[in-house]
Amino acid sequence: QSKIKWRMQTYAGAALAEHVITPAINSFNKIAGDEMEIELFFADQLVPTGELFRAMQKGTIDAVQSDDDSMASPTEVTVFGGYFPFASRYSLDVPVLFNQYGLNEIWDEEYSKVGVKHISAGAWDPCHFATKDPITSLEDLKGKRVFTFPTAGRFLSQFGVIPVTLPWEDIEVAMQTGELDGIAWSGITEDYTVGWADVTNYFLTNNISGAWAGSFFANMDRYNELPEHLRELLKVCMDQSHYYRQWWYWGGEASLRVNGPKMELTSIPDEEWKTVEDAAVKFWDEIAAESETKAKVVNIIKQYNADMVKAGRPYRYG
Amino acid sequence: MSYEMIAIFMFASMMLMLMTGQRVFGAIGGVAAVAALTLWGTGGSDIPFSSAMKLMKWYPLLTLPMFIFMGYVLSESKIADDLYKMFHVWMGPLNGGLAIGTIGLMVLVSAMNGLSVAGMAIGATIALPELLRRGYDKKMVTGVIQAGSSLGILVPPSVVLVLYAMIARQPVGQLWLAGVVPGLMMAAMFIIYIVIRCKLNPALGPALPVEERNHSMSEKLALLRAGLLPIVIFFAMMIPFVNGWTSLVESSAIGALTAFLAAVVKRRMTREVFENSVRNTLLISCMFMWIILAALGFGAVFDGLGAVRAIDNLFTEQLGLDPWMILILMQLSFLIMGTFLDDTAMLVIVAPLYVPLVKMLGFDLIWYGVLYTITTQIAYMTPPFGYNLFLMRAMAPKEITLKDIYGSILPFVLVMILALSLIMIFPQIALWLPEYVYAR
Amino acid sequence: MIGFMRAFVRIVDPINRKLGRITMYGIFVMMGILMWSSISKIAFMPSLWTLEVAQFAMVAYYMLGGPYAIQEGANVRMDLFYGEWSTRRKAWFDAFTVLFLIFYLGVLLYGAIESTAYSLEYGERSPTAWRPYIWPIKITMCVGIFLMLLQAISELFKDIATLKGKTL
Ligand code: NA
Ligand code: NA
Repeated sequence: QSKIKWRMQTYAGAALAEHVITPAINSFNKIAGDEMEIELFFADQLVPTGELFRAMQKGTIDAVQSDDDSMASPTEVTVFGGYFPFASRYSLDVPVLFNQYGLNEIWDEEYSKVGVKHISAGAWDPCHFATKDPITSLEDLKGKRVFTFPTAGRFLSQFGVIPVTLPWEDIEVAMQTGELDGIAWSGITEDYTVGWADVTNYFLTNNISGAWAGSFFANMDRYNELPEHLRELLKVCMDQSHYYRQWWYWGGEASLRVNGPKMELTSIPDEEWKTVEDAAVKFWDEIAAESETKAKVVNIIKQYNADMVKAGRPYRYG
Repeated sequence: MSYEMIAIFMFASMMLMLMTGQRVFGAIGGVAAVAALTLWGTGGSDIPFSSAMKLMKWYPLLTLPMFIFMGYVLSESKIADDLYKMFHVWMGPLNGGLAIGTIGLMVLVSAMNGLSVAGMAIGATIALPELLRRGYDKKMVTGVIQAGSSLGILVPPSVVLVLYAMIARQPVGQLWLAGVVPGLMMAAMFIIYIVIRCKLNPALGPALPVEERNHSMSEKLALLRAGLLPIVIFFAMMIPFVNGWTSLVESSAIGALTAFLAAVVKRRMTREVFENSVRNTLLISCMFMWIILAALGFGAVFDGLGAVRAIDNLFTEQLGLDPWMILILMQLSFLIMGTFLDDTAMLVIVAPLYVPLVKMLGFDLIWYGVLYTITTQIAYMTPPFGYNLFLMRAMAPKEITLKDIYGSILPFVLVMILALSLIMIFPQIALWLPEYVYAR
Repeated sequence: MIGFMRAFVRIVDPINRKLGRITMYGIFVMMGILMWSSISKIAFMPSLWTLEVAQFAMVAYYMLGGPYAIQEGANVRMDLFYGEWSTRRKAWFDAFTVLFLIFYLGVLLYGAIESTAYSLEYGERSPTAWRPYIWPIKITMCVGIFLMLLQAISELFKDIATLKGKTL
């Protein structure tokens, strides 16, 4: 029997992939040995991000690592991938939402409808602004051209932010050619890892979401063709990748805020930032009104956050 | 098939198809499509089109039609005539002076357009007939124009550096600045070469006769005003860009518009000039875009089939060479490929293979961009296949044979190789200016 | 047969020529969009849509202008050998190798139609704040590629006619 070969394309460029995916793929290939090999390709390498979902659906690419939002998957849950504003506070919120509050089932159903297997969701880093000029009030956000996620961009445009979408690998250059004034795409770990700290000067400590929700997906037919044990191995390695990120980001965020030499930290006062948090709740309701499935997810997110507030410290402070 | 076999199969079929003389984009795209359908597996048929979507997102490519348009406006409207007159009068009294003036003209033309085509057209239509009439050696003259026009892609703005920037994911602004000093250095080296040759053998470039150079000082100074035009166009484009007021693509539109307005103001924008500039801009842009589109598809198939791994593996592991050896080998392979591959195709197919390797070896990608561009320029000029060679053949008068053209470039290519070596040994020649400007 | 080929060429070539002659003014459209982008940025608020519209314009420019470029012989060829050949010999080679080009354009068109169908089915929008629908540009691309294909076939017919000693 010949070796099974998969092509997987990640949302990440090579520098970030070094942490967020390459180790997991190397483990998978080592363990799968002569039975299976996953060949990893980086952002936009084989197909552009805009065509990524379709490519996986058709089988041009066998598997994908991405958030639902940036690859524009044609499902009801797309807006919740990436950074759904203020849905989570910590990176552990995401796996709890998926495993204990029922998001896994909803995702599974939604993706099955479009011929894609949702393998596993995980949490990544929080979403902060990295900018050329300092931001100390909401007023400073006005007119800034910022690279961000589609849904986050929709939300942020009410504060005068001009969201821009470009291929991930072009961001650093776009900062230098003046196409962008800032980036709202990640935490500080990523800013340093991928080189954005070199082209921005300031890091805003207020975030618009505490953790990114992203997933591993596969073409349904390719997935079904795998023997049971390789499916299991796939799941375990993907989960291991989520675990790596949990500590890598959590530790990295703190360490770079304290010791990072390249970016100066600024903050918008909490009372003022409250405007943004309140706007998020309104935004949730707008999204919930769009469809039944979306309403279901929004309710879960509301329920979860209410539970966390009731649970008190260390789940929520203040 | 093994990765190595796929790499060899795809490259060899592409070369073979190119040899048949089919349109370059058809040859490359055809091989890509066949490989995608036969070797990829499920869904391979979508790769060529998904490259078109990738191309759409490459926003810096918007500069391509802008710079091409600028070049055509400049050459078709003959607003460079006045510039030539300026150099002619000022440099004429020297032996070889008109040739030196032509290099000067080329430097200014380079600052106003992004390709070598415009320089070539201006050189061949304005400078060439004049130089021949004055008894300049025809080999010297064709060599000067070809070498001089190649500065077009090294002195900013430069389309080749924009394409390189997209592939290497490096900032265009820094790359452009990195090209300035090497470009001027190369121009100076060409001039030194001309001075020495004409000193040894004045018959190669006779000085203007006395009766042609009795211009009064005030006349001569008035001619200098011609030099203002390129400066205005260059700064109208570069100042907002370098200061971050406008983005790259916006600046290119400002440049194109400024050049267009300059031609209108100077009353050179006739119906015919307008027609030729607008039409040729479309044709040349389409030519470029379709090659890039086909080459992107080829690259994605090549990559997805594992052929890229085979090449990396060959250079770094199997040959076990040290970084500098690999770098020099890469430059040599560029020169060899440049003898039979089209330049744009070379850029879009070969650069994506080499750039990650160069990065992995620890070299500076801005610096490599300059090396890369000069190597491409040399490839432009070396027989049998070179864009500049063909243009020269198309534009030169009958008395200049293909043999003359081939024979004319050797000394200039040697000068360029010397420049290339200097920049390899002293990277600061390229890196000093971008570091100085961007460190502020 | 020659009658059919003549009819084909006489329909396809003028259409592509006219389209190309209109498309060539697209350079001013792109220039206008980018100038608006610069002005709006310097003067007041930068616009959401300029870069994307400029990208769409560029795609339309080279896709719809492509057939005209083929017709005008603007596409470079590696003429190391080709340049020296007789007209007849060129026609011989072209008549075969153009099939490669036709095949490429066919695969491109197939991908374009598939991708457009997906866009229409799911109402695909660009993932930007402006969120334009993608299908208009994809349909433009389908049209451009289809016309490229017709033009390539027209070139094939012209080569066959040359080999038969006729002109179309
Ligand atoms: Na230039
Ligand atoms: Na060459």
